[in-house]
Amino acid sequence: MSHAIDIRDLQYRAGKSFEIRDLALRVPTGSLYGFLGPNGSGKTTTVRLMLGLLRPLRGSITVLGAEVPRDIPRILARTGYVPEQPHLYTTLTVDEALLFHSVFYPTWDWTWAKELVGQFGLDRGRRLGQLSKGEMGKLEMLLALAQRPELLVLDEPTDGLDPVVRRDVLAALLDYVSQQNATVFISSHLVHELERICDWVGVMDRGRLVAELPMQSFKNGIKRLRVANAPALPGDTPFVVLAREANNGASETWTVRGWQAPMSQYFDGVGASLREVIDLDLEEGFVELLRTFREPPPSARA
Amino acid sequence: MFHMILFTQWKWSRLILLPAVLAAFALPLLSVQGAGDPNRTAWEARSLLYAVQSWGVGYPVLATAIALAIAMTAWGADHRGRHVYALSLPVPRWHYALQRFGAGVVLLALPAFALWLGALVAAATATIPPGLHAYPGAIAVRFALALGVAYAVFFAITAGTTRTAGYVLAIIAGIIVVQVLTASAGIELRLIPFMGDRLFLWPGPLEIFSGRWMLIDV
Repeated sequence: MSHAIDIRDLQYRAGKSFEIRDLALRVPTGSLYGFLGPNGSGKTTTVRLMLGLLRPLRGSITVLGAEVPRDIPRILARTGYVPEQPHLYTTLTVDEALLFHSVFYPTWDWTWAKELVGQFGLDRGRRLGQLSKGEMGKLEMLLALAQRPELLVLDEPTDGLDPVVRRDVLAALLDYVSQQNATVFISSHLVHELERICDWVGVMDRGRLVAELPMQSFKNGIKRLRVANAPALPGDTPFVVLAREANNGASETWTVRGWQAPMSQYFDGVGASLREVIDLDLEEGFVELLRTFREPPPSARA
Repeated sequence: MFHMILFTQWKWSRLILLPAVLAAFALPLLSVQGAGDPNRTAWEARSLLYAVQSWGVGYPVLATAIALAIAMTAWGADHRGRHVYALSLPVPRWHYALQRFGAGVVLLALPAFALWLGALVAAATATIPPGLHAYPGAIAVRFALALGVAYAVFFAITAGTTRTAGYVLAIIAGIIVVQVLTASAGIELRLIPFMGDRLFLWPGPLEIFSGRWMLIDV
């Protein structure tokens, strides 16, 4: 499998309080990769490192087969970037911003750009400083898409946008991905949004990558189990116990990762019985994963 | 690419450029306003030279002010966006900075040209006493060079972060503080004059700003 983004052994420090440590991340080519993490977990810093906006202390970053920061102009020419905060020149009009942006990208598609202007309902003569947050979000996405990139790096692209604008922006994105075999890297803390569109997920917390796996495995693999007569020490489980909570009576609720149906035999072997398997949505799985990462339960470590 | 960078810079600085061009055009005219009398004596010719010389300080001051304003507008929008947009464009950083610098130089040609025109008009309309000559081309070239040097210095400072600008200011403030403290302690340390000489006297980098700026001279 080839990787559009390949980060190895990355280290970066910003001040005394924040550090990215031993980060390894691989985004398969053609995937829609959701980069999840709470605020302040290091998502934006990682994005900036992979686009050469920041310099790492150690490690290697390869994007679209080229090395960061050595080949960064070549990488950026093939990458559409929507940053967390609007970054465009606010004194320009929409038309001027399109003109300015277009001269830097040889693959710029004017036909599609004009189509998107109409689709997003942007006023071409309006100054960017007068645009609403939603309009600015649409324009940022438009600029990233109209350059026909092989890789789209979107840092919280829909954060703060109303549901209608969010839908428009994501629809344009999915439309593009369906046309081209582009790779999309979306950083977000809006778990539900990524659940619908992404096929890979990476979870970041406190400057470290907690998990990276196909979305389907992530969604299917995290379950909540109701266990009766649970053993005090779970021993060698075929799954990863993320959390254990005692219920009323003799039963416990276990949150596990890597679950598959045949693993229920494990409980027979330890004298317990599995009463119920509950599916978790991505958000619940995400929360459990972070909780375990921050504070592994003593029983799970045993 | 360059034309779009030039366009953005023009858009940001046009409100500064208009008064700058007017001031540059008017300065030579103002400096010879007393030179209209054809029956000047030698003594009056000397007073004309004094008058022209008194306006001479206006040229480097104007060049510095215009260059500072244009340099600040060159990076103002990028500073507001924390340089993320410029850094995410697919051009090497030095290339982008060079194009921004070049755009500023092109825009600075406008006040330089206006000053040359003003100097030509001033030289043509003023009655210059025998023995004195007008140098409109020389003063315009000198003004253009002063604009260029000042722009280069301010461009380099404003291109950096606020921290960089802070360091520069801190160094200047430090020199002044040391000079004041040593003077109050009775120690003869001519730090500021020494620095001034190194900067403003040949071969100092700011030599262009010193000396006499005379549109009319012997």
